[in-house]
Amino acid sequence: MNVLTREELRKLVGEWIAAGKICTGPVRVKPELVLFERLAKADDLLLDGWVRPANSIKELVLPRHEALYGYRIEKNRIELVDQPETAPEQIAIGAHPCDAAALPILDKVFNWDYRDDAYNRRREATTVITLACAERDEECFCTSVGLGPEAERGSDAILFDRGDGSFLVKSLTEKGRALLGEGAANGGAANPPPARFDAAQVASFARDHFDDAFWKEHALACLACGACAYTCPVCHCFDIVDEGNAREGVRARNWDACQFPLFTLHASGHNPRSGQGGRQRQRIYHKFYLYPEKFGEILCTGCGNCARNCPVGLGVLPLVAKIPHAEPV
Amino acid sequence: MPNLYKPDLMEVIGVRQHTPDVKSVSLRFQDAGRARQFTFQVGQFGIFSAFGAGESTFNICSSSNWRDHIEFCFRKVGRVTEALWRIEEGDTVGFRGPYGHGYPMEAWRGKDLIFLGGGIAMPPIRCAIWYALENREDYGRITIVYGARTVGDLVFVDELDEWARHPDVRVVRCVDPGGQTPEWSGEVGFVPTVFERSSVSAGNAVSLVIGPPIMIKNTIPVLKRMGARMSDVYTSLENRMKCGVGKCGRCNAGPVYVCKEGPVFTFQELRAMPMDY
Repeated sequence: MNVLTREELRKLVGEWIAAGKICTGPVRVKPELVLFERLAKADDLLLDGWVRPANSIKELVLPRHEALYGYRIEKNRIELVDQPETAPEQIAIGAHPCDAAALPILDKVFNWDYRDDAYNRRREATTVITLACAERDEECFCTSVGLGPEAERGSDAILFDRGDGSFLVKSLTEKGRALLGEGAANGGAANPPPARFDAAQVASFARDHFDDAFWKEHALACLACGACAYTCPVCHCFDIVDEGNAREGVRARNWDACQFPLFTLHASGHNPRSGQGGRQRQRIYHKFYLYPEKFGEILCTGCGNCARNCPVGLGVLPLVAKIPHAEPV
Repeated sequence: MPNLYKPDLMEVIGVRQHTPDVKSVSLRFQDAGRARQFTFQVGQFGIFSAFGAGESTFNICSSSNWRDHIEFCFRKVGRVTEALWRIEEGDTVGFRGPYGHGYPMEAWRGKDLIFLGGGIAMPPIRCAIWYALENREDYGRITIVYGARTVGDLVFVDELDEWARHPDVRVVRCVDPGGQTPEWSGEVGFVPTVFERSSVSAGNAVSLVIGPPIMIKNTIPVLKRMGARMSDVYTSLENRMKCGVGKCGRCNAGPVYVCKEGPVFTFQELRAMPMDY
């Protein structure tokens, strides 16, 4: 099908939920807050108007909390308990192009040399149905990192809002066709955000000004809350901790963030990144220099969530906009 | 595919207490097949765990020639090491690894070896010392300078005596001023100064320098004065790690994942990296 009305799409989502698939989409959880949430029913799916959810769909492939395996202790005998090897089929509906693109970017780090199976199982079980962006806000900057409001990267199908209560459908992969059929429509006019900075300049500044006062000066306001990392579609740093007691429990992977002072603290008490400036630098350096060097990808999709969710007005765009000579070419 | 994060279960076959807060532990694989197949290079690290407390990263401080067990050494400083402190012979701990790159012992053949260590840095040097002594004909003169704050903080002291009995091996022990006891027969002073007094030639030597940042900072100029090239001076970084396999993002030092590209670096390589360690 090339066109779906809002009602037809909602009906399909209802069928997927009834079939036991885990469906996730934008949900208005409070009057002022929209989140990607698991849909209890198709009616919860927010389909009218452009809203950038305050989180991202990375939670589908890298949950906030994930048991890696369990342990049971009896006297000095220990048994390790595997987690289920199957991941339930999950569908993201109404993801933005800046969410969908995150998945192929994350694939790189979770598969270089050592393959992370828990990640890959979830990734393979995930289908992404993207809704192209008909609008944007001041924090959006996808065009500065090689994406755009109709970018197809990472999507299994993409929908274009026609503004009349219906969507054009373009299926991009087998997974997308399996859910939405052979849609081959092309989108309408979009309203891309203007280019905000030159990513290559940001990369060379981060590389060449590692100890510059710039970072300290512009990070002074940072509260080290980690909201930027947690709401980012591609920030993927994690901690591994035991949760349980001396008899049984799980070894779990939980989200972590480079903004936390304890993140790099050595056992000796030495901390290579002893100030918040170094931690803010790390966030930019990792996204614009280290990740491109290692994996050929900018670790940023331009969603703007870091700035939208920052309590003190920081975030990628506010910070890199201050980098000298980083204005778009 | 096996679970990347699931450790091998290891039986504790020995525990040695070295100082009031440092112990080393000997481990044997529970799975005999895994034990036979397991190999590593000295200088590589493992992630060791006490179930219910969590994981910690340590160097595998035994020689890679010892096929029946591996050892690690730790100081009691936090949640995991408090739990490891309580383990006894017969207990079970977890081990993942080996990870990272070890010392290029093959490339060091034909060279004199200088080992300079401070405090708890002896374990990651000890594995290389044993390896060199077990392949004695491959290496030239061996100089070991090992210091700690006090006499009571020196670890593996019995092995220091054993190493000193080998031909062409010189062992210099030192403690910081004020850290000596009336019976102390070693030197009093800091590793860099004691090393400089030892009048060793570093021209045809490979050096391995591990210790607190201040010791390293003051040792490098001494090595340069002795004629060492920075491409022949090695260290092992101890950036905090969680996954050990280049995923969790914690050990980044500039453009490098220390867990995968390190932890062993030459000072020539470190000079090209920003100070993020």
